[in-house]
Amino acid sequence: MGKYILRRLGATIVVLFFATLITFILIRLAPGNPALMMLADSATPEEIAAMEAYLGLDKPVIVQYLIYIAGIFKGDFGTSIMYQRPCIDIILSRLPATALLTFAGCTVGLLVAIPLGVLAGVKQGSMVDLSAMTFALLGQSMATVWLAVLLVLIFSVHLGWLPALGYGTFKHLILPAITIGFPLASQTTRLARSGMVDVLKEDYITSTYAKGISRRQVYTKYAFKNAMLPVITIVGLQIAGYLGGAVVTEQVFSWPGLGALMVSAIGNRDYPLVQSTLLVVAVMVSLVNLIVDIINCLVDRRMTLN
Amino acid sequence: MDKKLLFGRIKRSKFFIVGGIGVFFIIILAFTSPLFVSFDGTTSSLMERFTPPEGFSKGLAGHILGTDQLGRDILTRILLGARISLSIAIICVALSAFIGTVLGLIAGYFGGAVDKIIMRTCDVFLSIPSLILAIAIMAVLGTSIINLITVMVISRWVQYARLMRNQVMVIRNKEFVLASKAFGASHWHIMFKQIFVNITTPLIILLSQQIGQMILMESSLSFLNMGIQPPLPSWGSMIANGRSYIASYPWVVVAPGIALMLTVLSFNFLGDGLRDILDPKQK
Repeated sequence: MGKYILRRLGATIVVLFFATLITFILIRLAPGNPALMMLADSATPEEIAAMEAYLGLDKPVIVQYLIYIAGIFKGDFGTSIMYQRPCIDIILSRLPATALLTFAGCTVGLLVAIPLGVLAGVKQGSMVDLSAMTFALLGQSMATVWLAVLLVLIFSVHLGWLPALGYGTFKHLILPAITIGFPLASQTTRLARSGMVDVLKEDYITSTYAKGISRRQVYTKYAFKNAMLPVITIVGLQIAGYLGGAVVTEQVFSWPGLGALMVSAIGNRDYPLVQSTLLVVAVMVSLVNLIVDIINCLVDRRMTLN
Repeated sequence: MDKKLLFGRIKRSKFFIVGGIGVFFIIILAFTSPLFVSFDGTTSSLMERFTPPEGFSKGLAGHILGTDQLGRDILTRILLGARISLSIAIICVALSAFIGTVLGLIAGYFGGAVDKIIMRTCDVFLSIPSLILAIAIMAVLGTSIINLITVMVISRWVQYARLMRNQVMVIRNKEFVLASKAFGASHWHIMFKQIFVNITTPLIILLSQQIGQMILMESSLSFLNMGIQPPLPSWGSMIANGRSYIASYPWVVVAPGIALMLTVLSFNFLGDGLRDILDPKQK
């Protein structure tokens, strides 16, 4: 078990190393001279050269990469052109909004999906099952853009119950949370259902019936935990994705999170900020994946065998 | 597979029938629309801004779904958008499936270091959410249809690679593969003529499920102004641009929204139906 976790940790570090390489190359491909972007249009050639030296652009590419890596280890992700502040400060200031939205969205999604999926799995082929599956397909077919705009149209414009955009109060959180939660719910419903269907076919479930344990107990005590294994993995992946910024949702609701930051950084050609946001997202996703794997391994020891 | 068995399963799969009919009509409508639309979807006519939907009261000559903020006929734009979105989605699915399949076959067949390198690369791509990766690359490359296709392929090939690799792992030690090896068949022959032809079912299922996902991704990118550029319409950008007017002129966003939803829903129904038919165990 300890060995498995160590191996996963090693793999995560390798992935992150390559992620730094990708973000570094991506930014090198960006058009324009970064030094010019940091300076006013009236900058003299000497000033440009000085800025290039300051940014390390006069050094060979491989040295630049090593400086970049060394900086990351010191917590220096570069300086934002637009804000003229360290990128990491800006990213950290946006993180709480994204984390709140992720948490709220996942709560909404799981509260709907797990009971619905389990019920559909237990009553396979029933009306409940068919409606749960239709709900799931509908959720997977809703474009985030359309769902968000539709919710605004109904609950803000028509009914006037909730604000259409903004950040700060509980009311502001509801529509973005549903926008994130609905697709998550549809995917999780399917997983919970198929997990339940698979588990109920297992021999150990049959033997619990033979022991005379009630159906309800079999479902809740014996089947549920194992049926949730695939759910944990996928929900983990999804949470990781949302932590990286629900770009469209944040954009529609003017939610001040990482996704919206990324879009505005791109709009302003603030490449250092784009680069560091990308890297921070990759780190978070990888860490969440690692945590999910460790949880899975604690719940199901068979995992460590692979 | 036995034809009778297959046909029986098709008849029983409501998802497949509903999805299939939906997809059929959407494709026909999208690709034949130049024959019957009476407006130009890209030129604005400011006198006719925000004409409410007229239905069929004026026959095909009226603005059936109304006009948008620049006076362009919404139905015409939806149909034109459908043609663009569907073409892009199909091209992207085909390209990403091709790249992913080849890399997955190579990883699964050769194993060892090759497998490790390809799978680690997949992990790297998976560590950045696909939309975030796509907009970052788009920002650097600049917006154009070719770049749009490129980023969508870059961020989606991983799925195929992982699926194919796992499938190859399952069958690469089966007798018929070993027999081919013993006969001295080339790696190329074994990979494509022996292994690949036996693992197309999961690939077809994934392909059909990915078309809807690609349409959704394109709509998100277009919504963020990083997809299809004006004056060409895309459902995503139609929703984005109409968003400011929803209080007074809701049809500007509702029509493309419903078109988007129905299209993706049809493809998802088809994909799920196909899975039930080809691989009932997975259900």
